[in-house]
Amino acid sequence: MTLAANALAVEIGKSAPDFTATDINGKTVKLSDYKGKIVVLESYNSDCPFCNNHYKTGAMQELEKDMAAKGVVWLIVNSVNPNNPSHRTPDQAKQELADKKIVATAWIDDSSGTVGHLYDMKTTPDMYVIDKNGVLVYDGAIDNKPDPQHDPRTARNYVREAVDALMAGKPVPVAQTKPYGCSVKYAN
Amino acid sequence: MRRFGIIFAVCFCFAAISTHAAHTQVRLILSASTARPGDTVLAGVDLKMDPGWHTYWKNPGAAGLATKIEWQLPPGVTAGEIQWPLPEKLPPAEVTTYGYDGEVVLLVPLKLAPDLKPGPLDLKAKVSWLECKEACVPGSGSVEATLNIGEQTKTSSDAATIESWKSKTPKILTNLVARAWWEKPANGDTRPLIIEWSAFLKDQPPTYNIRLITEGSDFFPDANNDFEILPATENLSSSPLDVYWRKLVKKYEGDWPKEISGVIVTKSGNVRTGLEVKLPVSDKAPAVGKTILPESSAGVPPAGTGGTPALPLQPLWQMLLYAFIGGLILNIMPCVLPVIALKILGFVGEARSEPRHVRKLGLVYALGVLVSFLVLAAVVIGVKAAGHHAGWGMQFGSPVFVVCLTTLVTLVALNLFGVFEVTLGGRALDAAGGLASKHGAAGAFFNGVLATVLATPCTAPFLSIALGFAFAQKAPVILLMFLAVGVGLAAPYVVLSWNPAWLKFLPKPGAWMEKFKIAMGFPMLATAVWLFNLAAGSYGGRVLWLGVFLVVVAFAAWIFGEFVQRGRVGKGVAFAVVLILLVGGYAYALESQLHWRAPLAASDPTGSLKESADGIDWQRWSPEAVAKARSEGRPIIVDFTADWCLTCQVNKKTSLEITSVRAKLKSMDAVALLGDYTRFPENISEELNRFNRAGVPLVLVYPKDDAASPIVLPEILTPGIVLAALDRAAR
Repeated sequence: MTLAANALAVEIGKSAPDFTATDINGKTVKLSDYKGKIVVLESYNSDCPFCNNHYKTGAMQELEKDMAAKGVVWLIVNSVNPNNPSHRTPDQAKQELADKKIVATAWIDDSSGTVGHLYDMKTTPDMYVIDKNGVLVYDGAIDNKPDPQHDPRTARNYVREAVDALMAGKPVPVAQTKPYGCSVKYAN
Repeated sequence: MRRFGIIFAVCFCFAAISTHAAHTQVRLILSASTARPGDTVLAGVDLKMDPGWHTYWKNPGAAGLATKIEWQLPPGVTAGEIQWPLPEKLPPAEVTTYGYDGEVVLLVPLKLAPDLKPGPLDLKAKVSWLECKEACVPGSGSVEATLNIGEQTKTSSDAATIESWKSKTPKILTNLVARAWWEKPANGDTRPLIIEWSAFLKDQPPTYNIRLITEGSDFFPDANNDFEILPATENLSSSPLDVYWRKLVKKYEGDWPKEISGVIVTKSGNVRTGLEVKLPVSDKAPAVGKTILPESSAGVPPAGTGGTPALPLQPLWQMLLYAFIGGLILNIMPCVLPVIALKILGFVGEARSEPRHVRKLGLVYALGVLVSFLVLAAVVIGVKAAGHHAGWGMQFGSPVFVVCLTTLVTLVALNLFGVFEVTLGGRALDAAGGLASKHGAAGAFFNGVLATVLATPCTAPFLSIALGFAFAQKAPVILLMFLAVGVGLAAPYVVLSWNPAWLKFLPKPGAWMEKFKIAMGFPMLATAVWLFNLAAGSYGGRVLWLGVFLVVVAFAAWIFGEFVQRGRVGKGVAFAVVLILLVGGYAYALESQLHWRAPLAASDPTGSLKESADGIDWQRWSPEAVAKARSEGRPIIVDFTADWCLTCQVNKKTSLEITSVRAKLKSMDAVALLGDYTRFPENISEELNRFNRAGVPLVLVYPKDDAASPIVLPEILTPGIVLAALDRAAR
């Protein structure tokens, strides 16, 4: 076993790897389609208490609305494998989007785990921020409080910081942190 | 209303004392029910998870959350750091986490102030955790326990549970030899790190050198915000005595770390041991040629043998020296005495020969020794290549070998008695010069082989360490080590024969030499008897037929000597008779009656292996028996021995089965375990390897304190050594 595989395709400062995926409406989603815009990738599983905490408190929806207002593309990546009880069918996912009042550009159905593995997504939530030129500028935790019961509004939100820095033309202050959350439920 | 109140109170009590979240129960246990002011009591937060559910270690890994304890303690009680039992690596591999399956008790030392007033104390804590199976659920619960402050400590009913979990927490070995360095510069945000640690501990005198178990080991890093040591461990070790891992480190923030910390966990059977380490990380690999081992006890820094990729850690020259010294000492071990007699005989016989001739014979003897050691080394290499454990003296575990050797030794004794000669014509000792040098050489070579074969049931100081080291090495090193022992064994004779001037001081050859030769036959005969007894262990009552075979062989030898060698007529007939006797004896006595190639299965005695009515009550050794006695807090004496191991038998007679030791063992309530290596069982080979030995004898004393490591006694015992070790164990 070599560890060479860890020479990741994903690296801060390099081009974020392109992917072609399908969203829950059956539409094809390609990362390269969004060149010219800031893109945020969110590894999502609402059954995970960490992820759910952000939605339950309404903090994530607020963040998503703010991002949308700034023209940021928000892609939810759900990599839960089909045999896991947390899997959502496209219909269930559509219902969930409506119930939780989530504002996102697309919810990618990644039950095959392709996008998750491509980006080495480890936890839910695990966040990636890609600038207008397709370069990865942030990779890691959504904020600095790995706690399933905190109020995210009181934590330091790295995604918001990264996007604000990009829009102001300044360097992103924190480029990489250790993501926290439940493990992504890939197939075994 | 009152009923409602009672129900409410009962529910509240249950909730307060132990809490059951969806899949985990938590409660608080204490090591003592009563403690004195100033004491430290161990508290245990006991988390019991439903099957398939996990909670996490202090570093949860790629995902998850470490369990947190928030204490609500009365004044005068301070909680220390959590002592985390050794975690497991939890799947999946892409997102490896560190945590616990089933149950875990997190230990927290509670320090009691010296001025606490007597009476009950309420200890409360709020525990929060994350429990995961396929999904994750955060859990929390409040736990509570009462501790009495009084004048005398009273252990609680949970004390045994706490003790057992304490043994699962990592230890700190101040003399562990370990280091870390960056293998290469960073590749983006990941960088490879090498962690190296040695099975040998620092500053332990070689005789007491216990080898740490390194097989099945892995590294569990502490959590850090700025970087992560990724879970995958690549094992680059080429020897079990020196572990060499590559781990990838991912950096989030700041500079590459200058220090790493974590726990090395090793596994032996079902038992895991954890070692806490804090290692500075150097920027580059240590210089080639330096070893990780500290200076040898002789104060001379060991030299490496150089070379990449694995670092040379063992001081090879030191081990070769030990092998040589061991070989030297073997010359005075009882096993080799009969052969020494032969050698003396040989020297006396050569007294009047030319010095050149004597020297040559000395070298031929040495050649016999070295060739035999080469064969032994080849056998060991072959056995190891076949995947089995090899051991010193393993040929004696084969009953077939014992039968052959018994026959051979009997023949040698008969030869010395003068029953027959090994020369082709002429007498064995012809001091009048012109001696057929071929005879002398053949005899010398044979003596060398015999000396080696008979030496193996004995072991010596230095030899056992050297062999223990050798058996774990690769083939070329094994060969070298065995040759070194051979050189040591043969050395005295080569040295003596090189300067045969001293032979002038021997009495002149004469009739007395015949008598001396016959007298030397008796030690050889004694050896044959000892071997016969050995064979009896493998054949039971059938061994009678071996005796019958030996008589037939003796008779054939006489006929050969009397009629073929010394006779004048009917040589052919006599020779035929000899052959018939030998073949017939073999076919009938060995094959059909003794079934010599089908010895009895090694007996499996259960119960006591007492040798006599008031002897030590030995039980059969097994790792389970050791664990059981340790958990009961009883000291243990373990004797690994074999029937054919002369040193072991001597040790037993002089230092174990003696009144003082027997009495001491009884007074200590010690357990005595006997590991019988006679037939070379694999499980005992493994255990010997663990203590860095390749053969028996090995006597261990496990102290009462189950956290202490066993005391390894030297190869040659005296009553003083055994009693001193038992004294240490009783503390």
